[in-house]
Order: sequence, then C-alpha cells, then structure tokens
Amino acid sequence: MLHAALSPLAESIFSLLCIGSLLLSFVMLGSRWLTNYVLAFAAQSWLIAMLSAAVAWVGGYPELYAIAVLTAIVRGLLLPYLLLRIMRELAVARELHVVVQPSSSLVLGALLVLFAFAVAAHAGHALGLDGSVAVLALTVMLAMKLIGFLMLAVRREAMTQILGLLELENGIFLGSQILVPAMPMLIELVVLFDLLVVVASLGVLVRLLVVHVGSTSSHELRRLVG
Amino acid sequence: MAARDIALQVCQVLAVLVAAPLLQGLILQFEERVQRARGPGIFQPYRDLWKLFHKQIVQPETASWVYRAAPLVAFTCMLTVPILIPVLTDYPLPLSDMGDILGGGLILALGSFSVLLAGLDSGSAWGGIGSSRAVMLGILAEPTLILVFVGITLLAKAMLPFVVNHLLVASPAVYWSPAHLFLVFAFFILLLVETDRLPIHSSTHLEIYMIDEARILEYSGPLLALLKWASMMKQFILYTIFCNVLTLPWGLSQHGSALGVLGAAAALMLKFTLVACAVVVVETMQSRLRFYRYQEPLAASFLLAVLAIVANQLR
Repeated sequence: MLHAALSPLAESIFSLLCIGSLLLSFVMLGSRWLTNYVLAFAAQSWLIAMLSAAVAWVGGYPELYAIAVLTAIVRGLLLPYLLLRIMRELAVARELHVVVQPSSSLVLGALLVLFAFAVAAHAGHALGLDGSVAVLALTVMLAMKLIGFLMLAVRREAMTQILGLLELENGIFLGSQILVPAMPMLIELVVLFDLLVVVASLGVLVRLLVVHVGSTSSHELRRLVG
Repeated sequence: MAARDIALQVCQVLAVLVAAPLLQGLILQFEERVQRARGPGIFQPYRDLWKLFHKQIVQPETASWVYRAAPLVAFTCMLTVPILIPVLTDYPLPLSDMGDILGGGLILALGSFSVLLAGLDSGSAWGGIGSSRAVMLGILAEPTLILVFVGITLLAKAMLPFVVNHLLVASPAVYWSPAHLFLVFAFFILLLVETDRLPIHSSTHLEIYMIDEARILEYSGPLLALLKWASMMKQFILYTIFCNVLTLPWGLSQHGSALGVLGAAAALMLKFTLVACAVVVVETMQSRLRFYRYQEPLAASFLLAVLAIVANQLR
C-alpha cells in the first residue's frame, strides 16, 4: 500500500482520477447508446493508465510505467476497437430492451456508491486509514464493481454484458493500483490476456446468438436446449 | 456605519429588482444572435413590463382572492431573498441573519407555491396542466436541491452563504476539489430546470409544451407584469447564488465603499454574462426532452450531488 503521508498534490491527482473514472462508469450506466458505452470505457481505461503512471511517479515503482502503457494500449485502444468492430458487424446501436430506465439506474448507482462508501469507510476505520486516498480508492473500486454487476443485471443486450464485465474488471484494477501498487507485472499481463480472451469468446458467443436466436438480446436465452 | 449597511442592503434588493429584466433580455438576445436571428435587443423585457403595467386588469369570473394575492406574494418573496444572500457585499448586512440557505430556499419555494395555487384557482385547463407539471418537476428537483445544500454544508461546515463564499475565496484547494466541482455541475442542472430553460422547458410558446407559463395564462395587465418580473427576479437570484456562493465567489465588495459596490455590480454583470453564455450554449445544442424523460437530467444532477458528498468525506 502507498504510505500514508502523500503530498497534497499527489492525493488530489489520485482522487481526481479515481472520481473521474467513477463518473465515466455512470456515463455507461446512464446512456442508451452502445457507442457511448465503448467510448466511456476507453476513456476510463485511459484515466486508469494515467493513474498507474501517477502512482509510479509518486511511489517510485518503475514497472508501473510499463503497466500504464500496456493498460492504455490494450484496454484503451485494442478492446474498444474489437468491441466497435463486433458492434458494426451486428448492427446494434442501442439498448432496446430496457429493464430499468437509465435515470432510475443512475439513482440506483448513486445508492450503490453510498453503500460502497459505507463499507470502505468502515474498512478504512478498522485499518486506521480515515480520510486517506486509500479509502477513496476502496470506495471507487467497490462502487465500480457494484455498477458492473448492476449493468450485468439490468441490461439485456449482449454487448452491454461484455462491457459490464470489463467495467467490473476496471474497477478491481483501479483499486489494486492504489492499494497494492507493488503487484507483480506478470499478474497484470495475465489479466490483460484474460480480458482479450473474454472479449474474443463473448464475440463468438454473440455471433452464435445471432445465428441461432436471431437477436443480440440475452433475454431470449431462457430455455435450455438439449 | 449601520446607516451605510442599511443603505447597502436596500441597494442589494434594488439591484435585483432593476437588473433582473436586463439579465433575461441578455440571455434572450444572445440566444437569438447565436441562432443567427437579430433579436429584440437586451432591453425588451423592460419595454414588455412597461406595456403590461399600462394595461387594465381583466380577470376570470371564477377567480377568487388567491388569484389576486398570488402575484403579490410571489413578488414579495423575490424581494425578500436578496436580503439573505451576498449580492454585492461579501459580508452579512442587517437582517441577513434572518435565514440561511435553507431559509432562502423556503422563501423561493413559497413564491412558486403561490403561483401554483393561482394556476389551479381559476379552474382553466391549461392552468391545471401547468400546475401539475410544475409540481412533478418540483418533486424531481427538490431532493437534488436538498442534497446540494447538504453538500455545501458539509463542504463549508456551515449553512450560511457568506461562509461558503469566504471559504472558496480563501482556499483554492477546496475550490478545485472534486466535491466542489460536482456541486457546481449539479447546481447548474438545477439552474437550467428552475429558470425555465431547455432541456425541460420549451423555448417556443406553444400551450402544449408550457409549464411555468401555462400557470399564468389567465393573467393580464399589471398582475401579469408582477408575475413575469417575479420570475425574472427568481432567475437573477438563482444566478446570484450560483455565481457568488458556488462558482465565481470573487469580485464582491469587501468593505462596502461606494466604489467597491459599483465594482461588485459590474463584476456581477460580467459573471452573469459568462453563465448566460453557458446557458445559451446548452439551449442551442439541446432539444426539448419528452415528458417521460424529464427525470434524466435531474437524475444526473442527483448523482453528481451524491458523488460530491462522498468525495467530500474523503477530502
């Protein structure tokens, strides 16, 4: 964990980047257009890459620079490109099967943030980290995970479900950057390749879905077929 | 000393009273110019008010005393709020301690409430629709407004607008903190909703889109002028709170000298021009939302206020 005595400038940069990525996850939650989701995800990945670089600079972890570059390239460019390609092939532009209206899901998301904050504040209090940037990172991490789950739960479009998974993973990664910055680089490489596998396999699944069901909505997948 | 402060307080109220139509004219004129029309000129609201005050009052047969009292109540409310907030000076003047931010909000809400009753009073269809829509918007906007107030209170550890102003001027760290910036954006959305702007309120005058105007369709002559003037003053007051308390807390008179107050008035017009430009950009880019999507900007505003409160806890 980063030592508690950070300079005010570093703290404010960290908190700004964390809050910025949280805000972008709400852009995903509140929009109906799939392109917006992907662009918000890409922007979020760039923010997280900047956070990695900032942690590397402040904490003196040179390997985090490499991770920052990898994050920007893989999460910020490659994954959005793949997602946009799948979307172009499938010709899906927007979420058609809305279970919860975007505005209601925004309010739900706000409540989840409050819940995440309560949990993180308790944890931070137990660890003696009251009011530090670690608590903020924990809050944002939990909130982004919960929002990812919320997206998985209330959206039916297959693309959104992929993005929900990616969003969830971004949250964990953001938290780990601040909470355990000395994480081995190998793990990060493995995670990045896992993400590529997730997108590739889900891309295949979505195409199968179109061929067999004729729609990209996971709502149709309610019947077990032997 | 005390006499000068009282004079300044009177000046604050007069500034709101006199400059409110100018602000309205400024926004409308800018909008017309941006949309490549010529526009009526920035003094058109004054001419409108002048014309209305010289007409006779025609009132519906079904109207009761509520109809006649509502404009006066609304106008008086809008004359009361400037006493509580920093319009020209950044220190409290006599009677400024009558109420805090919540008190000011209460008086503003009382003004809207009286107009609401007036819309229902005469029993016309449009008045009823306007009142019901306005209440719907109030239900959506009010929780956010309260959350913004809570956020401001947590930020400054006080509910007095003057304290917030001093804090933001004194410490740039607080000014640029995410908590404060989120509050600014949340309040900006509320500002658009409360001052009859897009994306919720229509900019064209068709009865079917009307919200606030539908409530006062039955009015004519001086009573209508009072209502219009009151709504312009409400806009001016909300802009004042947005600028002087939250967004641009600089450029207020610190000692209350004549020169300082004049400078503060000039700075106020400059700040309002900036905010008006932002509003004009929104109005030009946005189209009106349909009725069942009204909650979307307000949900975003609610969310920003919640985020501000969370971010503030961790500052």
